Amino acid sequence: MSMLSRPALLLPFMALLLVGCGSGDRDALDSGALEERRAQARAAMERHYATQPSLPPDLREAFERGDVTQDEIDAMAEAGELEPFFVFATPDDLPTDLVWEDGSDLPEFASPDAKKGGTWYTAVQDYPRTLRRVGPDANSSFRPFILDDVVMGFGQRHPEDISIVDGNFRYFPGIAEAWAEDKDNRTVYVRINPAARWSDGERITADDLMFMFYFFQSEWINEPWYNNFYSRNYVRAVRYDDLTFSVTVPEAKPNMLGRVLGLEPLPAHFFDDFGPDFIDRYQWRFVPTSGAYVVRDEDVRRGRTIALTRNPDWWAKDLPFWRYRFNYDRVHFSVVRDTAKRFESFRAGELDGFGLNLPDYYYDRLPDDDDLVARGLIGKYTFYNERPRPTYGFWINSSRPLLDNRDIREGIHYASNWERVLREYFRGDYTRMRTTADGYGEFTHPDLRAREFDVDKALEAFARAGFTERDNEGVLVNDRGQRLAFTLTTGYENLQDILTIMQREALQAGLLFRVEVLDGTAAWKKVQEKQHDIQFVAFNVGPEMFPRYWETYHSVNAYDRPFLPDGSPNPERRPKAQTNNLLLIANRELDALIERYRASESAEEMRELAFQMEEILHEDASFVPGFVMPFYRAAAWRWARWPDHFDVRISRDPLEYWLGWIEPGKREQVLAARRSRERFEPIIEVYDRHRPE
Amino acid sequence: MRLNPLTLRKLKRFREIRRGYFSFLILIGLLGLSAVSELIINDRALAVRYQGEWSFPTYGPVELGSVYGLEGTDGRRPVDYRRLKEHFDAAGTGDRVIMPLIPWGPYYNDAVGGILRAEAPNFERGHYLGTDTTGRDILARLVYGFRTAMLFALAFTALTYLIGVAIGCAMGYFGGLFDLLFQRVIEIWSNVPFLYMVIIIFSVIPATFSVGARIGILLAIMVLFSWTGLTYYMRTATYKEKSRDYAAAAQVLGAGTSRIIFRHILPNTVATMVTFVPFTVVGAITAITALDFLGFGLPPPTPSIGEMLKQGTANLTTAPWIVTSAFAALVVILLLVTFIGEAVREAFDPRQFTLYK
Repeated sequence: MSMLSRPALLLPFMALLLVGCGSGDRDALDSGALEERRAQARAAMERHYATQPSLPPDLREAFERGDVTQDEIDAMAEAGELEPFFVFATPDDLPTDLVWEDGSDLPEFASPDAKKGGTWYTAVQDYPRTLRRVGPDANSSFRPFILDDVVMGFGQRHPEDISIVDGNFRYFPGIAEAWAEDKDNRTVYVRINPAARWSDGERITADDLMFMFYFFQSEWINEPWYNNFYSRNYVRAVRYDDLTFSVTVPEAKPNMLGRVLGLEPLPAHFFDDFGPDFIDRYQWRFVPTSGAYVVRDEDVRRGRTIALTRNPDWWAKDLPFWRYRFNYDRVHFSVVRDTAKRFESFRAGELDGFGLNLPDYYYDRLPDDDDLVARGLIGKYTFYNERPRPTYGFWINSSRPLLDNRDIREGIHYASNWERVLREYFRGDYTRMRTTADGYGEFTHPDLRAREFDVDKALEAFARAGFTERDNEGVLVNDRGQRLAFTLTTGYENLQDILTIMQREALQAGLLFRVEVLDGTAAWKKVQEKQHDIQFVAFNVGPEMFPRYWETYHSVNAYDRPFLPDGSPNPERRPKAQTNNLLLIANRELDALIERYRASESAEEMRELAFQMEEILHEDASFVPGFVMPFYRAAAWRWARWPDHFDVRISRDPLEYWLGWIEPGKREQVLAARRSRERFEPIIEVYDRHRPE
Repeated sequence: MRLNPLTLRKLKRFREIRRGYFSFLILIGLLGLSAVSELIINDRALAVRYQGEWSFPTYGPVELGSVYGLEGTDGRRPVDYRRLKEHFDAAGTGDRVIMPLIPWGPYYNDAVGGILRAEAPNFERGHYLGTDTTGRDILARLVYGFRTAMLFALAFTALTYLIGVAIGCAMGYFGGLFDLLFQRVIEIWSNVPFLYMVIIIFSVIPATFSVGARIGILLAIMVLFSWTGLTYYMRTATYKEKSRDYAAAAQVLGAGTSRIIFRHILPNTVATMVTFVPFTVVGAITAITALDFLGFGLPPPTPSIGEMLKQGTANLTTAPWIVTSAFAALVVILLLVTFIGEAVREAFDPRQFTLYK
């Protein structure tokens, strides 16, 4: 699911200061005007269906490099040289030799003991600024609750069985009833479950899939990333009948199945007046969902609280793999900006659960001998998971003076004492990140290691760059009087302590980090505009099979026209804003590998390429790998129950797969016990089935 | 210097108000101590004797280990004097390291028991007020934070008085259109919310500015938005004095404007203005603490009382010593300054010395 969603800036520690504004309720239009709008919207959609061409990958890459212009592409489409993207066929066109699968041999992972009911009280750091799932401000920490973790795809990756069969992860059915893969033609055929319904009762059909492509390719959603993703990574969508469609991808890459099954259709009937004012018009309108939870208008108290409500008529409530999940009747969110306050609120019983990932919360603020824990009123859970890891580390802007020198970057690696932070601040619970893509199983480089803190090696590297003398403060200077001092920016206020520790350590090697702590939004803006020296930030990553390289490391995302036609760096190139290439890395060799990797259809070859790219990135030394948290930890009141295995292998937090439930009647009993000083058996659980050796 | 007998009487009266006078002595003492805090509470040695030679590294440039014969990596990085002391003591060659009374600097991360976290006061290890969440000594951070805050407050007071008195006096003395114009300017200016301005301006200052420059900018902004309050008092006082007979007499005698202002009017308004000084200092300390508390003050890891209050409130239940220390320190400073202020006001109260006709 989340493979299709935008790689989000990691939000857990961000506090967005601005709270929702703007009223986007459906304007009161008289029925005639509304009819006219609908007619216009329908016409625009049909025009798009009729004209949208499908660009072959090489043409698309030439376009991205700027070698081909939009006008030229339009002319080619006009001349009929390009295949159409949208095709409306008949059931007779469906190939007859397809082998349909439905993942029914997979085990279910939720617990049949689960009981429906109750309210789960939780808190968010900032109030969602919109209920749209795309467009400005949509990529917030609330989005998982209305999209990523709730909405059903056609199929979903099995979160326990992580084996790779026939080049694909294992999938269980969601909206789809069955699917068939045609590797030779790079096409996946899908049959929609006839019972599938939107939360407003309408049927889910193949038209909703076609509409989804139209919607994400449209400029009206103001989302260049979506525009690119949904035209670059898919080349054709074919509708055969109401419930059958196929999607073709440009390359038969490993996990091709996931690329199609992970798609989430959109309710075409709801967006029947989709137009240029989409952003405002749909600001506060909840999109009918295929999932279990809806947001009712009366539960949106802007700036204060919001709630999810379980749809009692959810079509998939008894469907295998989906039953026994989504058990809470309501999920209630209040806004508590301050982490410490959230914790106190949790201890007071106002919130049901609290994340204990930070060591001082796990060990000091809620120790095992804490009264509430020792009396068994609050349980502590540690769950080792197995998923791609967020890329916490130092992102060095290699377009900056001095930082464009590889020796200095290498010195920064050796002068960054992650080891001390891991040992003494994280208390040995976290591990060092090794590459830019940890946690991808066989796609993660097996034996590359991040450079460890070493004053001597750092000094050597800095000396090679001409920094040999120290000034009165112990900071290295070169013979031109430049100081070895860089700004180290972060938006993670909760993690600023590790930067101040590392600042002191780096001074041993004569390197000065000027620590700058901004609020999350400002920090992200800074790095998106490529104004940073060194940024401490992480990209969140979904449970994909293999890492992405193009977004983060390809030169087209570093500069506008990074190279001259002869292959030499363009002397007038300027950093390109609003891309994820935070390192400003522009390396022809790496580009070539990334392009091969993007085009490759063989897992074997991609693995090799990934390793080569990791080696180049290691050699380039622009990314200082930070830490990896091999588990998540949480605390919850005793009335919260989970299956015996607690959660699934690739889960990120307890609300991601919604396996928990509330023991009926237990809340009152536990709260009464808190006053009467009654004791229960303490709950301190460590689930280490998936703990790496 | 010959002081006006009236002023001498005021000073005598101030000395007689014991609470204020002792507060003044204590504060001066604290300021004096904090001026040399590097010698008292620091992780750099006071003196090192190496191969018979004494050296005094406290105020000098950062020294590398090789200066004291350390080899390998230790020779190439800045000396950790505490470890050097252990090294010398173990070697027993007569080399010595003399550490300050409290051997912790405000930045040193001391991992007690191998873990960086807030440690309760620990006399054995020399953390008399405990450590903060990254193992830094709270007393050291308090002392250095206090020094910054006091220097800031004094500089702030001097500058606001300079501007406020000058403009207020000019308004009162010249009156007329000038007065009218400036009153309107001040009314508008004083309606700009100062805290937001600081926050906005601070968010655009590049991080490349040094801590000193940032303090300077903060000071400038605060002065810019704070001088207005003083002008009202100064303006009234000047108006009042200007209409007195002695001012008219001076004018008749042919004294120039500057002479009248500086020789006659200003000395007579001092009594009013001086009573506000301590409260301006209190205001400045509170403001810089509040800004640090909100995270818009000095960049981390600069020690400051506001930052400690923030850390303390975030760790209220697990590390109460952080907030206790910071809060107590703040209360003591503000109390001292307020006591002084009350005494000054009482001592300078004109009702005791002036007889109106």
